[in-house]
Amino acid sequence: MTDPAFVVIAAATVIGAIMAVEARDLVYGAASLGISFLGVAALFILLDATYVAVFQIAVYIGAVVVLILFTVMLVGPVKGEAPMELKRTSLFAAVLVSMFLGIGGSLANANAFPGADMCGASCDLQKLSQTLLVNYGTQLEVLSFVLVAAVIGALTLAKAEKD
Amino acid sequence: MVDLPPDPISMTIAIMTSPLFLKIAIFPGLTSIGIIAAVLTWLDRKITARVQLRIGPQYVSPLGGILQSFADLIKLAFKELIIPEKADRFFFVLAPVFGLVLGAGLIGLIPFSPESLISNVEVGLPVFLAFVTLSPTLVLLAGWSANSKYPFIGGLRSLFQQTGYEIPLWLSSLGVVMMAGTFNLTKIIQAQSTGWFIIPQLLGAIIFLVTSVAEQERIPFDLPEAEPEIIMGWQAEYPGFLFLAAQGAGFVKLYAFSALFTTIYLGGYLGPGPLPPLFWSLFKTTIMVVLVILLRGAFGRVRLDQLLRYGWTLLLGLAIVNIGITYFLIVGFPTI
Repeated sequence: MTDPAFVVIAAATVIGAIMAVEARDLVYGAASLGISFLGVAALFILLDATYVAVFQIAVYIGAVVVLILFTVMLVGPVKGEAPMELKRTSLFAAVLVSMFLGIGGSLANANAFPGADMCGASCDLQKLSQTLLVNYGTQLEVLSFVLVAAVIGALTLAKAEKD
Repeated sequence: MVDLPPDPISMTIAIMTSPLFLKIAIFPGLTSIGIIAAVLTWLDRKITARVQLRIGPQYVSPLGGILQSFADLIKLAFKELIIPEKADRFFFVLAPVFGLVLGAGLIGLIPFSPESLISNVEVGLPVFLAFVTLSPTLVLLAGWSANSKYPFIGGLRSLFQQTGYEIPLWLSSLGVVMMAGTFNLTKIIQAQSTGWFIIPQLLGAIIFLVTSVAEQERIPFDLPEAEPEIIMGWQAEYPGFLFLAAQGAGFVKLYAFSALFTTIYLGGYLGPGPLPPLFWSLFKTTIMVVLVILLRGAFGRVRLDQLLRYGWTLLLGLAIVNIGITYFLIVGFPTI
């Protein structure tokens, strides 16, 4: 039987993520993103990884959401559709999607996830960093795209003001 | 014999008299937080007044007007809740209330004595600091949602200030973690049984004190409120109960940060003599509270450019230097 706490938190996380994209008001979107990140942190706590949850909150809500909110508030709430250049945007989106397809394809092969868990209960720092950077290197790089997306989003919003 | 389902009344009584419930409800939990926040409001006004050669609160109750803040509390709680017409009602109401809840949550992590501790989290220190990093988001939302000039300026100033001072705050507390070898607040206190960390970590303690005062938005770092220039900043539009929540959160933070400073630098509940541990932790916390209040009487407000320059260069650099010093202390004197 699935843990009811997991169901509630996972639902809140997913709804927050959908709201972050769909919200009319950009401020509400950013706040929903914060709720989604809080949900992820709660999932980490359910997995007994309180330390990871702490940094999820500190980095993603304490820094990323604040940066997005700051940018949104500085350029003012955008009413209705923002004018955008369709050609360049679609080209950029196509490049991004093909990049992610390539990464997804490389992750989908059998060797991407090593079966043996190198980092058990008796795991020192050296072993942990080896597991993280050698065995799970690609996955770590993919995770860092979240930060890249945040930076690109903030830049796009800041640029919209001048148009 | 069939097991009868427990009747609701005896179950309620069992829950209400369980130690955890009593801790959350009375001490160190909600009731004591409310009373202490009210007393701190009075103490803040009284000490600042005495420093400035004024009298301060006087008429409510014979003992130096100590009940003044309770009278203010009742007055504010029963005022009409006027929300500005153009304000974003959702965030306008949510931000201060959530901020107060977060502030109270900080107290739950502090070990006031081996028994009076609500939640013994294994990584208590980073959890405390992570809760603190949520407050600029709330203040920014509060300032934006009022849809007014001064609250918005206050919210932006708070964002600059709190995000800038968070990094030195985290780094300065890292020295303590290096010496104690643990993130757990109770174990950090136990590691100080041979000597308080304020002696080897003097530089870290000073940086921690300065940055924590900045995080609490107290004078000399009260730019987000700055009464004479931006009229209480992000709190300007708040009515009755919501103003109470916004102000109360500030004083709960003062209490929580003083208790954390006591815990990680002053040996927490450790102390000599027959006096109970609880006395020592509250005594040291009170001394820290009074020290922070005295700063308000002694200093003027810094400018925004000075604030940012000190935060991002001086304090950040010193915090990194402190980590280096701590490393050589640990390597050079393994007995400490």
